[in-house]
Amino acid sequence: MLHWLSRLVGGIRRNRPKNKPGSGELPGFPPDPETRTLSASLEQNKTVLREIFDRCADLIIREFSIGNQHPVRAMAVFLDPLVDYDLLQKDLLSTLMNINQTPPRKIIGAMLESIIPAGKIELKNRWVEVEAGVAEGLVGLFIEGENTALLISYAEDTSRAISKPVTERTIRGPGDAFNEDLRTNLALVRKRLHTSRLAVENMEIGAVTKMMVCVVYLKGYVMPGLVEEIKKRLERIKVDGFVSAGQAEEFIVDSRYSPFNTIAATERPDLLVSRLLEGRAAIMFDNTPFCLIAPNTIATDLQSPEDYYHRYWFSSFIRLIRWGALFTFLLLPSAYIAVTTFHHEMIPTNLVNSIMAAREGVPFPAFLEALLMELAFEVIREAGIRSPGPFTQTISIVGAIVIGQTAVAAGLVSSVMVVVVALTAITSFAIPSLTLSTALRPLRFLFMISAASMGLFGVMIGLSVLTFHLASLRSFGVPYLSPFAPLSWGDLKDAIIRVPAWRMKLRPRLIGYNEPQRQEPGLGPQPPKAGGNTNTRTKRGER
Amino acid sequence: MLDKGRFSSIQLVILLLMTEGATAFLFAPAGITKFAGPDGWISASILASAYGSLVVLVVVALGNRFPSQAFTEYLPAVLGKIPGKILAALYAGFFIHLSAIILNESSTFVHVAFLRETPPTVLDIVTAAAAAYGVYLGIEVIARQSSIVFPVWALSLLLLLILGIIELNPNNLRPFMENGPLPVLRGAGISTVFRGEAFLLAMLFPYLNQKREALKSGFVNLGVVAIIAGTIMAALVGVFGDSFVTIKLFPFFELARYISVARIVERLEIVVVIIWVAGVIVKLAVFYHSSCIATANTLGLKSYRVTIIPIVAATVIISEMVYPTHAQLIPFLFKPLPPYAATGELLVPALVLLIAVIRNKRESRQS
Repeated sequence: MLHWLSRLVGGIRRNRPKNKPGSGELPGFPPDPETRTLSASLEQNKTVLREIFDRCADLIIREFSIGNQHPVRAMAVFLDPLVDYDLLQKDLLSTLMNINQTPPRKIIGAMLESIIPAGKIELKNRWVEVEAGVAEGLVGLFIEGENTALLISYAEDTSRAISKPVTERTIRGPGDAFNEDLRTNLALVRKRLHTSRLAVENMEIGAVTKMMVCVVYLKGYVMPGLVEEIKKRLERIKVDGFVSAGQAEEFIVDSRYSPFNTIAATERPDLLVSRLLEGRAAIMFDNTPFCLIAPNTIATDLQSPEDYYHRYWFSSFIRLIRWGALFTFLLLPSAYIAVTTFHHEMIPTNLVNSIMAAREGVPFPAFLEALLMELAFEVIREAGIRSPGPFTQTISIVGAIVIGQTAVAAGLVSSVMVVVVALTAITSFAIPSLTLSTALRPLRFLFMISAASMGLFGVMIGLSVLTFHLASLRSFGVPYLSPFAPLSWGDLKDAIIRVPAWRMKLRPRLIGYNEPQRQEPGLGPQPPKAGGNTNTRTKRGER
Repeated sequence: MLDKGRFSSIQLVILLLMTEGATAFLFAPAGITKFAGPDGWISASILASAYGSLVVLVVVALGNRFPSQAFTEYLPAVLGKIPGKILAALYAGFFIHLSAIILNESSTFVHVAFLRETPPTVLDIVTAAAAAYGVYLGIEVIARQSSIVFPVWALSLLLLLILGIIELNPNNLRPFMENGPLPVLRGAGISTVFRGEAFLLAMLFPYLNQKREALKSGFVNLGVVAIIAGTIMAALVGVFGDSFVTIKLFPFFELARYISVARIVERLEIVVVIIWVAGVIVKLAVFYHSSCIATANTLGLKSYRVTIIPIVAATVIISEMVYPTHAQLIPFLFKPLPPYAATGELLVPALVLLIAVIRNKRESRQS
């Protein structure tokens, strides 16, 4: 149905004039921008520049002379907000102005070789490239008599400081998180992976925004064919404006209409690195504090980096609790509705008595009661996130009143319902993956509707449909439900429980098969047998 | 091959297990006990699986001759074009009919036991739609879904069985074979309806990953089903006595109702709903899939998906028209269904195998 509709809509759109996004005529751009090259005349170049950057008040054209003996005219062109003035003045302007000898004949070569002390310089002679470079924040250096411009990087560091993760918090884990600057993010990854195996492939998305996107992976470890597939899917994105990773996800996922996200997002470099080590690949976007990881499976959605910083006993226990929380979150409200509406006789007598006693005097049917309360919770949650800082206190107080004792005292809802809502609220925060819990949040209302219409039978039918859907999902070819279905016994070691680190000998079977071995065998702790005392030498007085 | 999916031999075991067990545990015991009395556990375990192993042997022998085709696909090659197409059409009808019966069993149970005010038609439509969604997604997804659901299904069943066995009174299972072997055999006749569903392997064979293990998977499945079915029969008769089991519509449901551990774990009917829906959806999806494949083969279609909606609608209508209440369904299950099912699931395939052997037909190597 949806396919058909979208095809219909697409068919209507196809009749409109075709226009590549962003490739339309730029205002003031010279004709044939693709091929037009720079001229040797400084004045002419200046006129073209003024035309291209028409009405860009922040474009600065600084004209000066190179050398003080036989000066050569030159100009530096840059966008004011993107350039570090300090560097520009010290490194470029003062160096060039203070050259004492006659500027050499091959001035450009000399600039590159020995004059300009900048790390990153490019030579460009086509206007498109120059425009792109200046717009990106490079300083364009034009010299009289040369039809080539130097693009030098003096980027202002506009990134904010590295801060703590907001969504994925841990107790024992490292406290650094990605921020909006791609270079910083790459640095955080490189700092953890001291190897030339770490590959970073650059791409640009968006004809106007030209966002820098990196595909990051470990050569030799990464799942075969994965990187090519990711790049293919990214290259398909032909849009003009491109702002964040969230947008990219929707373009490159496997199943277009699924509420489940088959690409993980993280803001933790340590998590990203451990995923890379498993054979997955990451996609990093400039201006986005979240990196995408593919492929993603439901088991990894329930893993938190914290699991690997605590003892495995505790981690396994917590992980079991998380799975419980997942099902509680999804099914508790619908179970409440089913039981109070249809199956009184199916729960122990004492329990049904207390539920029914609590529901006495409540004017709404259970479904409406649950629906109202769950919606109220969703609204409070949304308001809590969206509200400006000073108001959060107000919202939490008012929220506590709305879905708290007052609502019960007013006889609007039963106290059992408040317990149900509170439990779903808490369990929703126990799911470590934000994408998974956001996928489930609307679904639980569908389950409530099915419970209200057909009781437990409806819930079970809903679960069957949901499992069918989940079983059909794939993330870059890897089934979303692996390692459960298709079952791979070895990978269950890190799915429902977590085995000790020295037992994790192999990478995930469907992802890391390029280089399955992870560690040498027999790495389990082997303390000396005799009483476990390692201090025997000093005891005998040998030292 | 109309479906590109693949599944492993362990998934085949689970698929067949859930197919054979999904409706049997509720509908079979009363009928078996009616004939076999306290010896129903022998009928349901050893005898039924012996019959099932015949089916599996025939089906795997056929499958090895035509490893990449479904049963209805190679019928024309074995029997000649027109007789083959006619038989394939008959099989499409057979599968559709069986699907309708399963659908009706499902809505009958849910209607009688839980949702008395919901019209069975609604239950039919909802169940059929859920299963049809699985069919639309393909056999691979059905197999994966079944292996996700299987642990829940099996553990719930096991829970009820263990709690039931605690209450078992061995005297109810005596005397052993009081009236000779004949009643036990007649009881097994009821069981063959469900065990014979191993025949679906003939339709699933082309999607198997490791075709060499088909026979082994078939027998593993029959062994496990024999143990489960035998335990269920023994638990039911052992707890309630055979006369009670005979008169009840769903003895297993009564067992769940009867169980009470320390007055905390009680009223476990809810668990029966879980087992029931989880199993029926898988079973129905497999049957629908085979119906669709058979129909598509008969008509020579390129995709089986176009047949889903007509077939599902047909099963809902058959289920509603032919068996409006359980008063029509139950007698049909116990009287005409066993010979009818045995014809389709054992006799005809055996004949087809015989003809294939005599005419020495097998799949050409190239394809």
